Parts: sequence; structure tokens; C-alpha cells
Amino acid sequence: MQSILTNLSIGLQTAFTFTNILWVFIGGTLGTIIGMLPGLGPATAVAILIPITFGMNPATALITMAAVYYGAMFGGSRAAIMLNIPGDASAIVSCFDGYPMTKKGKAGTALAISAIASFIGGTIGMIFLIFLSQPVASAALKFGPAEMFSLMAFALVATITLSEGNLLKGLFSIVVGLMLSTIGIDPLAGVVRFTYGVSSLNEGIDFLVIIIGVYAVTEVYKNLKSIDRVYEFDSKSIGKVKVSKEEFKQCIVPMLRSTPLGFIIGVLPGMGGTIATFMSYAMEKNLSKHPEEFGKGTIEGLAAPEAANNACSCGAMVPLLTLGIPGSGTTAVMLGALMLLGVRPGPTLFTDHPEIAWGVIASMLIGNIILLIINLPLAIPLVQLLRVPQRIMLPIVMGLGLIGAYFLNYSSFDLILVMVSALVGYIFVILEVPLPPLVLALILGGTTEQSFRNAMVLSDGNPAIFFQKPISAVFIVLAGVSLVYALVKRRRQVAK
Amino acid sequence: MTTNILTGIISIVLGLVYSITALRLPRMAMGDRLGPKIFPYFVGIVTIITGIAMILQDRNPEKRSKKVDFGFKEHKNVWIKIGLLTIAGIVFGLIIDGLGYMIATALFIFSVSMLINKGKLVQNIVIAVLFPVVTYFVFGVALKLSLPRGIIETMLPF
Repeated sequence: MQSILTNLSIGLQTAFTFTNILWVFIGGTLGTIIGMLPGLGPATAVAILIPITFGMNPATALITMAAVYYGAMFGGSRAAIMLNIPGDASAIVSCFDGYPMTKKGKAGTALAISAIASFIGGTIGMIFLIFLSQPVASAALKFGPAEMFSLMAFALVATITLSEGNLLKGLFSIVVGLMLSTIGIDPLAGVVRFTYGVSSLNEGIDFLVIIIGVYAVTEVYKNLKSIDRVYEFDSKSIGKVKVSKEEFKQCIVPMLRSTPLGFIIGVLPGMGGTIATFMSYAMEKNLSKHPEEFGKGTIEGLAAPEAANNACSCGAMVPLLTLGIPGSGTTAVMLGALMLLGVRPGPTLFTDHPEIAWGVIASMLIGNIILLIINLPLAIPLVQLLRVPQRIMLPIVMGLGLIGAYFLNYSSFDLILVMVSALVGYIFVILEVPLPPLVLALILGGTTEQSFRNAMVLSDGNPAIFFQKPISAVFIVLAGVSLVYALVKRRRQVAK
Repeated sequence: MTTNILTGIISIVLGLVYSITALRLPRMAMGDRLGPKIFPYFVGIVTIITGIAMILQDRNPEKRSKKVDFGFKEHKNVWIKIGLLTIAGIVFGLIIDGLGYMIATALFIFSVSMLINKGKLVQNIVIAVLFPVVTYFVFGVALKLSLPRGIIETMLPF
């Protein structure tokens, strides 16, 4: 307890500088704007805004990226409420009651409660994160290569078993990601692998290049079909952006109930904001005294999932910061951004660079407050940006993505890779192959292989080591159980 | 063809090519001898098995996955745009060092907006001029990244 408070105060000292607060403001606003755009979510926001952190010191850069991520979460529901178009999958639920509220002329209330619920979910989620991260990081410090490998294997398997969709296609996505991660010079033996004579591949594929390809450019391709859609709403009918006392009382319990739910789902790999929001909505509908009102513009139906969504994003920071394992596409992109800055999240981040680890945590607390300020008084001017047609936004998104990819290594070859991966990403979308497992596997692939080989060297090539170490065995069993569970569940669904 | 069968075929082909390449990697004379081969070999095998399983999943005609629909006919325009955007992106990479940041980016943004925002010539010219200027000041001046210098950049005082 004592040490947590000491650490938090170190964090607050790092975060509370003028520059850092200014960047939280800028990052939060830019994140909100991109998260707000119809069809583009937090992953895209983080992917195309990475270049703004170049040249910053690691703490400021991390704080800025966290603000972008957070801002995009706040912004995601704007388009859902105003236009009935979710910014990303986790904002789908916000359409259910948010848009009916707008139709009733209560858009202002909807915007206000979504910002307040995001704030409450985010702040309580951060408090959970503060108390959970240190113990998890200390436990993980004791992990050897065998435990690390089993943990990674579990994380990868869990991303496909816990999420919806075809299990085998998820597995396919993982193996493609692993294949991509092995391209280039093998760091342990110095052998060049899988470059097929292309010398530009010797250094390996920078996963940020692939991330920009699939999260910035593929997203642009996906939106090409709906390019001529015109977004219109009546600004005058938004009303005041505030919530009355009665409305707040009506929402407070649902928000507080959904926060722990969202947080736990966020900690688990593979279960991102989409599942958190749907589960929270279903829970509130079941518990409500007037379930028939859900879907017709009831305020709890909007508040609860918004709180769950932001709490979930805090939960996702636990495995990301303490173990270096992202649980979703968006956090994978965040991890990529951090690694680019030379920060390698994982248990040692808390011992070697407590000022960075805790600086991020503290800045997210501050970011929450700043975003509430951005999103309440500035709600009406910000939603005006929704009127900017996609025909103008998409070229800009694509431009930012490409120059960002170029800035990574100043390499023309990287731009070719971006375009190729965007095309492959689009084909994956058509084949209904999920992209997040690929990105996750690509990022974790290197560490997975290295810990696998180190463990094998330790055991003289005997794979039994993964079962002899108790923690490792637990993760392997968990991976197996989740695989079997998913198979049985899907078989039942098919049988129905 | 269903999405499962096509993905399965891709998976098998990819797995075979990858495993064969992995097998042909040089053996290490010392240290962990299977080192650089074992992990890729394992991944390759899993890929092949995944592919076979995906095809087998569709053997029952009643439970088959959706038919593959690339929409080449229905969304012909979208595919043409994607093709041209891909070329524009690659060309951008090839010209940026020679022409300098501003001119190359302006040309790239102009061609992309002409494809996406068809028929709005003035609007597109404005975007194509503003985008490189604003990003140059943000990245090149404010954030001090070194950007490829061409005719315009060498004339600028910063």
C-alpha cells in the first residue's frame, strides 16, 4: 500500500509538468477527433498519430500516446450518438440508446452522460489498475523462459478462443503473424531466414509498418464503398450538454456496476471493448425495472456500456504494462508505439523505469479529467467535425499513415510493405479472417520464439520443461481448456 | 468456393512453402542445433493442419461457410481505386527522396484525393497544398524530424 502511494507520487511528479499536460491535451483532442470519425476507431487513431511522439522523451511520448488512446475511446461514441454510425465495434452499443436519444432531441444529454460515464469508468478503472499492476509485475518478474513461452501461447490462443468468429480463421491469422515475425536475421543464431533474397528484409519486418497498413490504409479501403454518404444532423436540436440530477441518479448504479465488469473483461486477452459493452448492456437490461425501454433512448442503456468500455481499456493496460502482452488490436498498436520509443513494457518496466510506468498511470488519471473538460464544454464544436465528408478525411488519414510509416526508418521499402499489407488486410476482411490475432502474433512472435528456444536449451531439448514448471503448466492447461471450451461452444451453436 | 475452402487452400500453400524453406535452413554446427529451424517448422506444420481443418469444416453442405465474394463486378470501381491507391503509395515511396518531402507529398495527396474525392478539383488542390505544408511545419519544424529535402525545402530558412 505504502509503496503504491510512493510510486504513484513519483508518477504524478513525472506527469505534472507543463509540457506533459499540454501534450495530454493535444493528444486527447486529436485522439477524440479521429476516434469520432465514422468507421475509424482507437487503433487507427494511435497508428496514424505515432509520428507526433518522435523526438519526445519516452515519458512524454508514452503519456501522449495514452492520451490519444483515451481520447479515441471518449470520441468513439460521438458518431454513434449523433449519426447512428459507430466509430468502431466497441461503440456499436452506444448506438442502441444514444441515437434514439438524439432523435428525441436529447443529444446534448446523451453526449454529456457518455462523457461522464467514460470518466467514471475510466477513473475507477485506473484505481483498479494502480492496485493490480504492482503485484502482477512482481509475480511476473519470477518468470523464466518456460513460463514466458506458456504465457504467450496462452495469450495468443485466448485471443482467438474468447473472441467471436471462426476459430480456425483466427488460428490462421496467428500463424501468418508468427511467420512474418520470423522473417529476417535470427537474433539468437545470426542466420538469415525467409527473406527469399530480398535484402531489405534482412532487418526483419517492422511491425508498425504492418500495423499502419492494416489499421490505417485497410480501414480507408473498407470505407471506400460508403464514400458518398452525407452526414447531417441539426446542431440546434442538440440542446444543452448537461445531465440533470435525476438523470444522473438514474445512471450512477448502472455505471458503478458496469465498471468492474468492463475492467475484468479488459484484463482478459482477446475480450476487448466490444464484448464489455455488449455484456454490460445485456446485464443492465436484465436488471432494469423497465427493460422494454432499452433501445428506445433510455439513459442507463447508454451510460452503462460507456463506463464499461473505458474501464475495459484500463483493464487492458494491466497485461500490456506489466507483462508486455496486448489483449486486443488497439492495445497491440499501443504496444508497438511504446516499443518504438525504446520502452519495452513488461515486469521490468516497473522495477527499472518506475517513473515511466507510473508516469503513464498517473497521466491517464489526469487525462481522464482533461478529456472530461474537452468533451463537455467543447462537445458541440467537436461534433461539427462529423460533417466533414469522408471523401476529404480519408485521403488525409491515408496521407498521415504513409508519412508515419516513412518516418519510422526513412525507407521506401516500408511504404511498399504498407501498401502490400493493406491489400492483404483487405483480402483478409473479405475472407472474414480477423486481423488483430495477426498483429498480436507478429508483435509477440519474436519473444515467443526466443523464450521457447531458451527454455529448450535449459532443458537440453526436452519439451517436458513446459509441464514441469508449475506456472508454465497452468498456462498450457488454461490454453488447452479455452480451446476445448471454444470448440464445444461453437459446436453447440452450429447444432442449434 | 466458400471462404473456408479458399482460406484453407491459402493456408496449406503458405504452410508448405514456409516449412520447406524452414527445412532448408542451414544446420548449426554448435550450440542449440535445431535453433533457428524448430520454431518455424512447428509454425509451418500448424499452418498446414489449420488449412486442412478449414477445408474439412465445409464438407457438410448444410453447414458450409459463406461463399467468397470479392465483388469484382459489383464493386469494380472500389477495386480499381484500391489498385490505383496501391500504385500511388508505392510511387510515393520511390519519389520522396528525390523530389523532397513537400512536392512528393503534395503529388501523392493530390492523386489520392482525386481518386477518393472525385470531381472536386479545387478542393483537392487546396488539400494537396495544405497537407504537406502543415505536416512539414508540425514534423519538420516543431518536432524537428529530418525530412527529405528537395528544391522547396532547401529554399526554406528552417
